[in-house]
Amino acid sequence: MNCEQCQELIHDLVDGSLSHLDELTLNTHLKQCLDCDSVRQDLTSILSFCQTHRGEYEAPPNEQALWLRIRNVIEAETGSHAQTAAREPSFLGRLMGRTWELSLPQLASLAAAIVLLVSLTTVVGLRRWDGDGSVPNVVPQAQASNINDRIWQRRQVINYWNQRVELNKTRWSPEMRETFDRNLKVIDEAVANSLNELNQNPHDEVSEQMLNESLNDKLALLKEFSDL
Amino acid sequence: MRIRLLTRRRRVGASYLAVGTFLTLILLATAGTVNAQQQMSKRYPGGKNVRVELRNISGTIVVESWNKNEIRLTATLESKKAQVVPKQIDDCLMVDVMSDNRGRGDVGDINFKLQVPANSSVDVETRRGNISVSNIRSGLVRAHVSSEGDIELTNISATQVVAQNVIGNIYFDGEFSSGGTYEFKSTKGDITIRIPGNSAFRLVAASQMRQIKLNDFWNNGFKTQDGRKYVGDVGDGRSSVSVTNFSGQITFLRK
Repeated sequence: MNCEQCQELIHDLVDGSLSHLDELTLNTHLKQCLDCDSVRQDLTSILSFCQTHRGEYEAPPNEQALWLRIRNVIEAETGSHAQTAAREPSFLGRLMGRTWELSLPQLASLAAAIVLLVSLTTVVGLRRWDGDGSVPNVVPQAQASNINDRIWQRRQVINYWNQRVELNKTRWSPEMRETFDRNLKVIDEAVANSLNELNQNPHDEVSEQMLNESLNDKLALLKEFSDL
Repeated sequence: MRIRLLTRRRRVGASYLAVGTFLTLILLATAGTVNAQQQMSKRYPGGKNVRVELRNISGTIVVESWNKNEIRLTATLESKKAQVVPKQIDDCLMVDVMSDNRGRGDVGDINFKLQVPANSSVDVETRRGNISVSNIRSGLVRAHVSSEGDIELTNISATQVVAQNVIGNIYFDGEFSSGGTYEFKSTKGDITIRIPGNSAFRLVAASQMRQIKLNDFWNNGFKTQDGRKYVGDVGDGRSSVSVTNFSGQITFLRK
């Protein structure tokens, strides 16, 4: 038996789980090898100590003082980091380095404030650019484009149905084609009139209602005739 | 001289022949037209809550009540290839000319006449043509013309009335029931509403051309936007009336 094989079996010897033959062979080696015998003695001492003091744990002398010391060490380390940051001279650097924690309403308010600021800056800039302080045509044009934006989507739908009608139109009788064209023209006139009124007075409730209804009528006419 | 006489006789004979041929052609053409038109008439049993739904493509629709508990449908079909297949499910009679003639091409005008019990709900529409509904007392009267055609609703008492066209006049003569809804809309046409003087309703009337005449139904409670829109109550305002047109006159008459 060599030392490696012996040290593998020492734990089993101490536990008393070796076979009689192995125990005899191991003891023979231990009598001849002082190193291995020393390992066996150490292991036996540790095991004996543990068996004697089972369930006994020695608390630190002053537990609270220990935790205070740990906290002081942590705070000292954090303070040193803060001092390092305080030494940074740049305001922008501090601003960028800061972590911003904003709630959704705060974020929305911030966005609104930015939009307001940009709008005000634009208006003031345009006034100065014109020289006389007035902003001719800017607001009506914006409102007109706003109206066009609102009806743009509906116009797309109308275009789709218009294409379908055009495909089927060849199958209609001449009378039906004339009827359709005549009615579409009447509705288009109503749309044009309402749009014209809205361009002059973008907040005109009646014109807006008329525009909506005439666009609905146009869509309904196209849908109903696309089936023919 | 002899030769001249013969020539004159021949001329007279030729004239008679020409006139005869012309008359024969006219007669044949008229006979052809009469033969081309078809007419169908069917009767259906009516229940307690009769409902009539008719979807026409082109042609007139006439609906009137009678004193029988049954429905009579009469249709005049202009084209031979046109087909009308009414379907009755429980108390509802449905005629869908569009479905019945899909793939047949242009089927021309089909003119309908429906005779129904007075308490029938009526829902009729056509792409083109006049609609007339009279003497109905029920839950619904709806008349829809997709393009052009006059709508005439006479002696109507229903909790819901809808009349809509693009080009054509709308005439309503009837009563507004308490809690009912009434909608009249035309893009280009006059809208005339004739109702009893004690009618109570909330009115929203809009006309881009500022041609709204409330007559006896006007009161100081009406709010107006430069004559193009009137909103207000007449009486206790328990029914809701909406009238809209783009060009044409809106007139309220007392009966």
